[in-house]
Amino acid sequence: MDIRNKISAIYSLEQLSIGNTIIHSLHPLVKLITTFVFIITVISFDRHDFVRLVPFIFYPTILISLSEIPYSMLLKRVLIALPFCLFIGISNLVFEQESAFKIGNITVSFGVLSFVVILYRAYLCVMALLLLAGVTRFTELTAQLQRVKIPHIFIIMFEMTYRYIAVLFSEAASMRMAYVLRSPGARGVEIRHAGTFIGNLLLRSFDRAERIHSAMKCRGYMIKKITLNNKKLRMTDTIYCALICSFCLLFRFVDVANWITSLVERVL
Amino acid sequence: MHMADALLSAAVSSTMCAVSAAAIGYSITKINNNELSEKKIPLMAVAGAFIFAAQMINFTIPGTGSSGHIGGGILLAALLGSYPALLTISAVLIIQCLFFADGGLLALGCNIFNLGVIPCLLVYPLLFKPILKKKFSTSAIGIASIVAAIISLQLGAFGVVLQTQASGITELPFKTFALLMQSIHLAIGVVEGIITAGVLRFVYKMEPQILENANQKIVIGKVVPFRNKMIVMVAITIAVGGLFSIFASTYPDGLEWAIKKTAKTSLHAVNDHGRKKPLLETTARIQNITAFMPDYDYKLNSKRPSSEGTSVAGIIGSGLTFLLAGGTAFIISTAKKRRKRTTSVSANKI
Repeated sequence: MDIRNKISAIYSLEQLSIGNTIIHSLHPLVKLITTFVFIITVISFDRHDFVRLVPFIFYPTILISLSEIPYSMLLKRVLIALPFCLFIGISNLVFEQESAFKIGNITVSFGVLSFVVILYRAYLCVMALLLLAGVTRFTELTAQLQRVKIPHIFIIMFEMTYRYIAVLFSEAASMRMAYVLRSPGARGVEIRHAGTFIGNLLLRSFDRAERIHSAMKCRGYMIKKITLNNKKLRMTDTIYCALICSFCLLFRFVDVANWITSLVERVL
Repeated sequence: MHMADALLSAAVSSTMCAVSAAAIGYSITKINNNELSEKKIPLMAVAGAFIFAAQMINFTIPGTGSSGHIGGGILLAALLGSYPALLTISAVLIIQCLFFADGGLLALGCNIFNLGVIPCLLVYPLLFKPILKKKFSTSAIGIASIVAAIISLQLGAFGVVLQTQASGITELPFKTFALLMQSIHLAIGVVEGIITAGVLRFVYKMEPQILENANQKIVIGKVVPFRNKMIVMVAITIAVGGLFSIFASTYPDGLEWAIKKTAKTSLHAVNDHGRKKPLLETTARIQNITAFMPDYDYKLNSKRPSSEGTSVAGIIGSGLTFLLAGGTAFIISTAKKRRKRTTSVSANKI
C-alpha cells in the first residue's frame, strides 16, 4: 500500500468520531469506563468457556449498528490484530487433544474449544477498543485522560505524537519516492541503505521538532495544565453506563447461556 | 510481538499495568526535574511519530525474500535518553492499540513493559551505555546497538512467554514456547540491531552531539563494571527462567487437568502419597485472591455439556444467540436508514 493511503487509513477511524449518533453523543468518560469493564469481563472467562462468552457478541454488534460505523473497516483492523492470537490458538489445537464432547461421530477436543475462544475473545476485545476510538473524538479522549489524573506532560506528548504522524509520513513518502526514482527496478529500500535512509528521516524529523518548538514558543506555549471544558454527565450517560455494566456483570455471574442451552434441549 | 487482551488473564494484565504505570510515573518525575523538559517534549513527540513513519518502510533483506522494519526501543533510548524514550514508546504503543488494533487496552501494561521498560530502563543503561563508556566511536556504536537490540528483544520475547503462561491461556509447553519465541526473536533482533546500528552510526557522523547528549544527560546509579552487570543480568534471566519452569511443571498440565476434570475431583491436586501438593494449593489460593471474579472458577463450577445432546443444544443455543444479535443489529440499521430516508424526503418536500 502506498504510504499516502496509509495516512488516510490511520485517520479514517478518528474521522468517524465526528458522527452524530446516540453513541457519539455519550459522555467520553462513560465510553471509556464501559469499554474497560467490557474487556475486563471478557478476559476474565476461562479459555474453554465458549458458551458463556456468546452473549457478549451483543455489545459490539449493537454498538456498530447504533454508531453507524462501517463494519468492513473495523473487521479489516481486527484481522491485522489476529496473527499472534492465531499462533497461540493453533498451538492449543495441537497440544490439547483430549476430547471435550462429541457431536455424532465428530470429536471436539479442548484444543478446538480454546482455539475458538481465543479468536472470539480477540474479536470482542479488539472490536470494543476500535469502537471506542471510532465514536470518541481524540481531544475528548485526552481530556478524560487528564480527568483521571494522567500527568500533563504525557498527554501533551501523546497528542503531539498522534498529530505529527501524518507530517512525518508525508516526509517518509517523499523520501521513498525519491529513492525509488533513483533506483529503477528496486522493489523497496534495500537493508544496506536502511541506516542512511532512516537516519536522514530522523534528522529531518528533529529539525522539524526544533521548528515546531520555536513556533510554539512564539505563540506563548508553556508546559502547564490547559483547562478543558469538560462535558457534564447527563441522565442518558448514567443509564448507558449502568446498563452496560450490569449487562457485563449479569453475564459474568449468572450462567444465562446455560439457561438457553437447557431451553433448546427442552424444545429438542 | 504485541500482546493482545485475548491472551491475558485479568490478574496478569492488571499487575503489568501497575508495574508499567509506576515506571512511566518515575520517568515523568525524572523529566520534570530536568530543565530541558520544555524543549524535550516536542522532540519526544516527533520522535514517536518518526517511529511510526520509519515502521512504514519495509526493508528488503537480501536472499530471504522477507522484509523487516524497525522496532525502535534501543534507537529511541540512544537518541533521547532512557526516561524520555520510555514515554515516547508508551505513547506510540497507546496509539497503536487505539487506532491500529495492535495490542490491547489491558495488554498495554505488558506491551509497555516488554517493548519500553526492558529496552529503555534495563538494557540501555546496563548494556548500551557501558559499551560506549570506554570509547565513543562508530564501531562501538555499531556493536552496542546490535548487542542491545538482540538482548532487549530476547528479554521482551521472554516477557511475552511468561505473561502468556502465567495467564494460563496456552497449552503449549513452556520450554517449546520459550524456545520458539526466543529463536524467532533472535532473527528479528539481529535485523533490528543492524538497522539500529546503521541509523545511529549515520546520526553520529552527521550530528554527533545528539547521541553524546543523550548518553551523558542522565546518570543512573553508581558506576558498576560492565562485566559485573552482564553477570547480574544473565543470573537474573536464568533465575527467573528456572523458577518459572519449576512453577510451570508443578502446575497441572493439560493431561493432569483433563483427568481431574473427568474424575471430578477438587482443585487440590494429590500426589502419589496422597498428600496435597503444597505449591499448587498456594498458587490456586493466590489465584483465587487475585482473580478478578474469584468465585466463578470454571474448574470448580463447570457446567460443561456432558452428553452429546447437551453439547448440540449448546451449539444451537450459541447459534441462536449470534442470530439474535445479528438480527437486532439489522433491525436497528434498517430503522435508522428508513428514518434518514423519510427525513430527507420531507426535507425535499419543504
